[in-house]
Amino acid sequence: MNFLEVLTAEAKLIFSDIAIVLTIVGGVLLYAFLYPQPYSSQSVTQVRVTLVDLDKSSVSRDLAFNINATPQIEINRYDMSERDAKDALIAGKVKAIIVIPHNFSRDLALKLSPVVAVGADNSYFLIYGAVLEGAMKAVLTKSVTLKVGKLLADGTPMSKASHTYTPYSLKSINLFNKDNSYTQYVIPAVYILILQQTMLIGLGILGGGINERVRDKQRGHYLQAPIWMMMSARYIIFGSLFFVHALFYFGFSFSFFEVTHMADIGELLNFTLAFITASISLGIFLGSIFSSREVATPAILFSSLPLVFSAGFIWPLEAIPSFIKYMSDFFPSTPAIQGFLKLNQMGVDFSAVMPQYSLLWLQALIYAILGYYYINKNRKKYVRD
Amino acid sequence: MFKALSDAFFKELGEIKNSYYKLALLTLFPFTVFALIVAIFYQGVAFDLPINVVDNDKSEFSRKLLSNIDASSTIKIASEKFNTKDAIEELQSSKVYGSIIIPAHFMRDTLLKKQPEVTAILNTQYILIGKIFKAALIETVGESAGVIEYVNDVSSSQNSTLARRSVTPIGLQITPFFNTYKNYFLFLVSALLPAIWQIFIVIVTIVSFGTLFKEKREKEFFGSSFISSKIIGKLLPYTFVFTLMGACLLFYLYGTLGWVFEGSLIVTIFGIFLTVVAYQVVALFFFVTGFDYARSLSLGAVYTAPAFAFLGVTFPTSNMNDLALFWRDLLPISHYIELQISQANYGSNVFLEIDRLLILGSFWLLFIPIVWRFKKRLGI
Repeated sequence: MNFLEVLTAEAKLIFSDIAIVLTIVGGVLLYAFLYPQPYSSQSVTQVRVTLVDLDKSSVSRDLAFNINATPQIEINRYDMSERDAKDALIAGKVKAIIVIPHNFSRDLALKLSPVVAVGADNSYFLIYGAVLEGAMKAVLTKSVTLKVGKLLADGTPMSKASHTYTPYSLKSINLFNKDNSYTQYVIPAVYILILQQTMLIGLGILGGGINERVRDKQRGHYLQAPIWMMMSARYIIFGSLFFVHALFYFGFSFSFFEVTHMADIGELLNFTLAFITASISLGIFLGSIFSSREVATPAILFSSLPLVFSAGFIWPLEAIPSFIKYMSDFFPSTPAIQGFLKLNQMGVDFSAVMPQYSLLWLQALIYAILGYYYINKNRKKYVRD
Repeated sequence: MFKALSDAFFKELGEIKNSYYKLALLTLFPFTVFALIVAIFYQGVAFDLPINVVDNDKSEFSRKLLSNIDASSTIKIASEKFNTKDAIEELQSSKVYGSIIIPAHFMRDTLLKKQPEVTAILNTQYILIGKIFKAALIETVGESAGVIEYVNDVSSSQNSTLARRSVTPIGLQITPFFNTYKNYFLFLVSALLPAIWQIFIVIVTIVSFGTLFKEKREKEFFGSSFISSKIIGKLLPYTFVFTLMGACLLFYLYGTLGWVFEGSLIVTIFGIFLTVVAYQVVALFFFVTGFDYARSLSLGAVYTAPAFAFLGVTFPTSNMNDLALFWRDLLPISHYIELQISQANYGSNVFLEIDRLLILGSFWLLFIPIVWRFKKRLGI
């Protein structure tokens, strides 16, 4: 058989299989669109909060106004007691409670440091964090205004008073993902995992299916075509298809969902090539050891969540047990996510992602050898006798 | 009719016993994935997150501030750089999660009340890590500044009580409700384990029916009468196993780890049962679209894999768009998670759960087209 015949035969096998096409075309396109949907508003704003104002003074109303003015908090309910407020929370009408104590304005005037209580639902930590941030901002601003007012009253000139309210201050700068956008945080990494998993499922169904046919001695190119030709055909078919997918994901989808582009296009493509090649090699290898078409989907599916959470972008690598870190390094998605985030989301030099880049090529080589070995072994086992 | 059901039930038990693959799908595989997730988050809180510092002042004050920061359990000063450029380069390489830059003349300006500014550069690409880091930093820097201010005030006003109060005119007391452990383990794992569990329910249902049809034994199994009873009988062993598995997960999370379960266990376990059946019915619905084993697995994968993102546990539902909320409603697990959180954390009145239980039960309606398709396929 010549190479062109093998290529055609493989392509036929791939594109006539609905299960494969559904995954490597349908799944890839659907996920590109579906996955970013929950995060489309990008950050948590206007958490519903109930206010219990036990003071009912102009000062407390002023503070409530300031709290309500923060983007994080929307006071959409007023309760007369903490108990009513807690009931509203349990019924899901609000996610947090803010209590301004009795005699708030009097204590403030007497310098008794009254305490504003904030209670937020910590079942959802982004909600909790948002309420905290909003309340802290409003209360601190109010405190500062009061301090500056006091200094002015003491006779400190305005230009000096506005500087003296605290000995030194903290300015924080968000270096990457400046707006704390959730899309920016999740989508780049998840897209890489989607590309890898759909690729592995596609190649897994293909390889497992061929193993079944070889076992049943059904006639086909897979009985006699040189193995290197079959493998090359898969690198070409899956490689070109997923290269287009990658361009669509990292190009169109990223712009559409407003994800930053920092990498140089040439470097990005170079890195993508390593990632796609490594994934194809792993897919060929897994396909060669799957006993049937139907093993691939469950096996790959089960690995998805552990892979996302061990890649180090959600939960710090420092806090993950090392045996899991080593295990996850056997999958292209781990170095790919780490390298890709650095390259495109943080704009590093290519030299900084060399460890990940080399690991991907190493995986590509090792899995290709393993794949070759097992395809050959299966064929020998059934074709000779 | 009952005989048909129990026959199918025992026949299916035999099938499970004779297949290592099915046995593993019900025991070893889910257990392994659960264990991996638990292991990843076992530490629960992040500590000693590495940062670097640039100290342009090298004074008593800057040393003191840095040692306070280092003393925080969350942050560890991993390296000291001589200029901002080097610090940022290390930050880009992700070796550290943040940089702290202390300006020149920090001590002098503090004493002159010129209010110098300490700069923290955070890598907010990793949102969760960035948040943990920022919170710890605000706390330590605020405390350190407060101490200096307090000392200043004491020296000028000679009254320590008054001085302490004027440092913070308004106090802020913050109480986390429900997950009082401030621990990411409960928060993430209590939603992740059910998200994995639902994948297994769908896969196992499709495997059970898929192998039967692939091996062309469907006529032998179903015969020509009592089709719906036989389908139920065939599903029942798995309903039992997965309800038990769901209850075990609940027991693990709220029993062995010592978290308090506020609400009704019976209602929650009933919710687990309804969820299992809902997923079995949906899985069968995928299967009857073409009675094709591999293809329905692909559909099941597309349906179950992204579920975690839609649960609203990480990113809240109040900020999701309509499309996301619509897809979310199509997933039984999102209704179950609401029930679990409201029962476990809030201890809500069980009557509040009737809506959720009804929604979970409504997935059962898909059983009608399923039986119709089966009859057509089997030529009855």
